[in-house]
Amino acid sequence: MPPSTLLRMTAPLRDAFDIPYHDIGGGDEPHSVAFVGGLHGNELNGVFVLARLASVLRQVAEGRQAGQKLRGRILIIPAVNVLGVNTASRRWPFDGTDINRMFPGYDGGETTQRIAHAVLQCTRYARHRVDIHCSNLEFEELPQVRLYAPEDEERALATLFGLPAVIECPFNTIFSSTIGHAWRACAGSNFVIQAGRAGALQTAVCERLFRALVAFLYRIGVVEGVELAKEEEDVHFFGLKQTMPLISTTAGLFVSRLQVGRWLRGGDLIGYVYDGFSGDVRAEIHAPANGLLSGVRRQPLLCEGDLVARLQTVEEVAAMTDTYLPGQGQ
Amino acid sequence: MMQVCEDVVLSLELPYRERLSVRRSVFSGGDGPTVGVVSGIHGDELEGLYVCHRLAEWLERLSATHPQGLRGRVELYPAMNPLGLDSLQRFIPVFDVDLNRSFPGNSQGMLPQRIAAAVMRELSGAALVLDIHASNIFLREIPQVRISQEFAPRLMPLAEALNLDVVWVYGAQTVLETTIAHSLNSAGIPCLVVEMGVGMRVTPSFAEQLLTGVLHTWRRLGVLAADVEIAPLDHRPLLADDGNVHYLNAETSGLFIPTVSHWMRVKREQSLGAIVSPFGGEQLSRVRSPVDGVLFTLREYPLVYEGSLMARIMATSERDREIEGSRDQGAENAPQT
Repeated sequence: MPPSTLLRMTAPLRDAFDIPYHDIGGGDEPHSVAFVGGLHGNELNGVFVLARLASVLRQVAEGRQAGQKLRGRILIIPAVNVLGVNTASRRWPFDGTDINRMFPGYDGGETTQRIAHAVLQCTRYARHRVDIHCSNLEFEELPQVRLYAPEDEERALATLFGLPAVIECPFNTIFSSTIGHAWRACAGSNFVIQAGRAGALQTAVCERLFRALVAFLYRIGVVEGVELAKEEEDVHFFGLKQTMPLISTTAGLFVSRLQVGRWLRGGDLIGYVYDGFSGDVRAEIHAPANGLLSGVRRQPLLCEGDLVARLQTVEEVAAMTDTYLPGQGQ
Repeated sequence: MMQVCEDVVLSLELPYRERLSVRRSVFSGGDGPTVGVVSGIHGDELEGLYVCHRLAEWLERLSATHPQGLRGRVELYPAMNPLGLDSLQRFIPVFDVDLNRSFPGNSQGMLPQRIAAAVMRELSGAALVLDIHASNIFLREIPQVRISQEFAPRLMPLAEALNLDVVWVYGAQTVLETTIAHSLNSAGIPCLVVEMGVGMRVTPSFAEQLLTGVLHTWRRLGVLAADVEIAPLDHRPLLADDGNVHYLNAETSGLFIPTVSHWMRVKREQSLGAIVSPFGGEQLSRVRSPVDGVLFTLREYPLVYEGSLMARIMATSERDREIEGSRDQGAENAPQT
């Protein structure tokens, strides 16, 4: 059976192309859950995990997984930016626009306005909507759920993924043109997931993410018969004042040996900033407080003012909302 | 009866849901010679795409008005690098490889090599191939043919009759041995490299000029019938070589603002423009023609680094030929396609 398509478009020199999606289980009722990946074409963990999720759910829907049942209709778009995936590009390669800055879109507009419009129309009626990102090429994110000005129900549901961190983020003007924001005008709950880093697959991240999506489906009753691992119950919720971005005051090459997901004490060494030419240590970056290391810069080139790491703290800290934006990959 | 069809020369699966296809348009008349036109090897060069359209349009009109007019076969390959063209990249995306450094290719190799091998295979019986380039985003070129010394004896008569403005014969360069033109010429298939216009733009007047030259050439080769009507040739090329081509490289970095037009006659010491700084009102350097001649290459992209090529002038006086003939131009300034 040919896959459903969000949109079919001609291209200047290539064949017409589709943005295909999976429509699994159920009949004509609205989707229980809509998963969207690959708005950015180089965020591959999400593309891969959603494709694998679709494969598994299809088997469940067809009764081929003993003891498991699908009790709802699920929409999965593994990759919106199909041309971006095939050219290893975050943005829409032709005009360089960021599809996740084009929402709510416009069906009579430029290419990515049309794509945004089609994605929104397809997903808006789902009861729960999940937008999966993998940061950007610079910064590695601990698999986490992000909430923007959430309802209480969303705060509660966000823990059902079983990811190590649920982080409440302040609303900002860039966010206003994203899919997450466009979804807020529709009934239902919305989640943004960040997992890993763009440009390549991190298999451990993919496995964690896959289990998180299955856990969510199980806990909301859409999939039956799943067994969950214990780690998926170790979830921490961080409110608006429990995020501490660490900003560099020096330029150079930043190197950290730490893994994301570690709990740090105040004073723990996070990494060094080296002079790229002389090799001297220009600065040491230490954790300013106790917290969970939710993100670390992996692309080493650093300017003053760059984000080197992010801590989720238990104690409340003064929120620095503007410095959130660089390296957020959304 | 002319047959017109579009087919696929190579189709490869891409990682996600799409296929990469190299397509061509084929116009078949009779048993006469086969000729080919290739363009879009570099994804930022569009002039050739429009030339292919004009040729196709002309041939389709011929099919309606004088179907016996096509004696041979015409193959148009407008988009050799379709993924690059559609994503505004000069090179082949992801591989970041220059397709015009991948010839003759390998049918079992990586994607760029497979494209090269497939097209070499298809063109192996051609009597003449035109490879149309459009410079790059930096430099505007007058319609010209570029010929390697190695193949000049065979290609000169063809190049001179193409209705273009310059024929440039240059010394052999190893780096260009991996181009489609070198591969075809080495295999005995005459291939003319046309450079015209500028990257990311289409210059319709240049296309019309080349169209006329191509049609005349095809008629002479017997691809078109002798009674096919073609607009008259109206350009005769100047001959350029290492001895009379002068390069103007920027002395300073900055914003280059020319005060002359492309394809203008210029005199020795004539001001061609200036390099200015956006931070102040002064001119950082004045750009002057070193010789009397014709300005056949002019920078279109305004920013320059020290050393950036701003212009090429073909000297048109005997005195300049003698003086400059002894100067070592250096391989770094030789033309690249």
